[in-house]
Amino acid sequence: MGIRKPGLGTYITATYPDKESFPRVVECLVKHSDFLEVGIPTVNPKYDGPAIRRTHFQSSMKGLEAVMVGGYGEVPTILMGYVEDYVDKLPMVAQVAQEVNAVSVLFPDLIFEYLDLVDEYVKVMRSYGLMPSFFISSNTPHRIITRLVKYDPLFIYLGLYAATGIRLPLYIERNVREVRRLIGDVFLVAGFAINNPDMVRVVINAGADAVVVGTALLDKIHDQERCGEFLKWLRGGLQ
Amino acid sequence: MNVPHYWYNINVDLPKPLPPPIDPYEGDSRIALLMRIMPSELLDQEFTALRYVPIPEEVRELYARMGRPTPLREAVGLERALGNGVRIYYKFEGALPTGSHKLNTAIPQVYYAIRDGAKEVVTETGAGQWGLAVSLAAALLGVKATIFMTRNSYMNKKQRVLFMRVYGADVYPSPSEVTKYGIEALRSRPDHPGSLGLAITEAIEFTLMGEGRKYIPGSVLGFVVLHQTVIGQEVLQQLPEEPDLVVGCVGGGSNFSGFSFPMMGMKLRGEGFEKTRFLAVESTAAPKLTKGRYTYDFPDTGGLLPMIKMLTLGHDYVPPPTHAAGLRYHGAAPSLSLLIKEGYVETRAYEQEEVLRAARLFARTEGIIPAPESAHAIKAVIDEARRMPKGSVIVFNLSGHGLLDPDAYEHEVV
Repeated sequence: MGIRKPGLGTYITATYPDKESFPRVVECLVKHSDFLEVGIPTVNPKYDGPAIRRTHFQSSMKGLEAVMVGGYGEVPTILMGYVEDYVDKLPMVAQVAQEVNAVSVLFPDLIFEYLDLVDEYVKVMRSYGLMPSFFISSNTPHRIITRLVKYDPLFIYLGLYAATGIRLPLYIERNVREVRRLIGDVFLVAGFAINNPDMVRVVINAGADAVVVGTALLDKIHDQERCGEFLKWLRGGLQ
Repeated sequence: MNVPHYWYNINVDLPKPLPPPIDPYEGDSRIALLMRIMPSELLDQEFTALRYVPIPEEVRELYARMGRPTPLREAVGLERALGNGVRIYYKFEGALPTGSHKLNTAIPQVYYAIRDGAKEVVTETGAGQWGLAVSLAAALLGVKATIFMTRNSYMNKKQRVLFMRVYGADVYPSPSEVTKYGIEALRSRPDHPGSLGLAITEAIEFTLMGEGRKYIPGSVLGFVVLHQTVIGQEVLQQLPEEPDLVVGCVGGGSNFSGFSFPMMGMKLRGEGFEKTRFLAVESTAAPKLTKGRYTYDFPDTGGLLPMIKMLTLGHDYVPPPTHAAGLRYHGAAPSLSLLIKEGYVETRAYEQEEVLRAARLFARTEGIIPAPESAHAIKAVIDEARRMPKGSVIVFNLSGHGLLDPDAYEHEVV
């Protein structure tokens, strides 16, 4: 299942804000997104910014069981978790991803701290009919980025800043352009601190195929109407 | 030869990616704090995807006015004294006006702070090389400088304190009585000798206490290493032959990294230096390279900065006082730490006395009295040269002269 481009993705941590309302949150996001990222709640969301961290801490369930609470069938769904929690349990993660009709599992710490696990990760994903996807930062070594291309991933996700939701004064257009130059035609997703259509436009014009919004959504997900309006407004940046 | 037009960013050539900085789970976001305290261009350089970062023309001009390119010399006198046919070259960063390599990053950092509207730059310093460089850069570019200097060095290196004041800086011993962290440290230990980690915390707190201030760090962070690669970029043009061994001393890692990374980058990209070994030398007073853990830790004692993954002795480490005060830092630059962990850089730690004996030999054969920090590299060069076969080539960074370190020589050598 491919992702539409230019595309808007949304991130939510599974069972946030609670198990009962999570399916309704997903309903809104699915309606206005081209793809969905569902975080596997963890006690150690180390690379996330303060807002997304809170969603992990406040999620009413932790671990893979949490992602099974929602139904995500209408748009491509990617599970997102920390490989640190599943180093010896990759097949289990892939199986759950398969059960919830996800197309991939993205591990933000895979390339940074478990580079030696990449081949195994790709093998496991493929064996469950899933596609690999990779998370990188702006200063990930160029040779590693080009090596990732050879795995024919669903996408490469570029974290624009150091942590989710924290905008730093970086020339993100230049960094997106540089990564685009390295990965050729591979689908490029960019995220972290995306919160307005102008920023969406800048990132897409610089060469990203899609953007993801997470932190900026959090104060709107309780209200379907606000949530929908916000996402429609953001989509303006895709034009 | 001209001043280089680019700094070199090794992050994009490392064998593995640098794990990103992270926030601890308690308290406010330290990553968000960076925006309030540091010049914006420096943060961009910390995360740039570019391999070569252009040096602004104004910075290049100041580099040139201050004496860049610095000379690369063959240590003929030392070679003769050792007498075994090993050729030794050294890059003499002590030729810069403040006597060390620190001006290479002080100038651009102050320049970028001013571009952000700063009226004052604030920093910490150990032995005083960094503080002196910031004081001069601030004077050249027309802003005020405030320096927190580790108390032990403040008491012993009076000439550096004096010269910082000649350049117009305010200098406080750290722990000081002007910040909350300083006052608390003095209360718990009135004879506290200070540590670089604590001085960083005080400098950040002081930055946040007033308007128009920017904090600028002297080592460890990626952009500091980046600026220092002006040294290695010059070396690439100056070296007449490919070395067997590249040596530098390590406090936070900026001089070793700035000197060696352009060569290491070529090695990593398969463009040369295949046979070259790289050796980082530290003081036994703060042996993070040889005894530290590779883990996330705070760069400062108070935990005000984001945690970075590095070789560290722990951010609350208080080293014993030594004359090589610039080497008393608890951690090492993340890129250097990663290269050490992956086996690309060898490490060694030396005691103060043996280092100063090596310094004396260098002074008597080459005429330059080295800074005690730089003398660690010299000690390693002498030891290695004695073991290497005739015709081998060593190049090292003489990161500073010791003319402002009479306390070291007074107590240990004379």
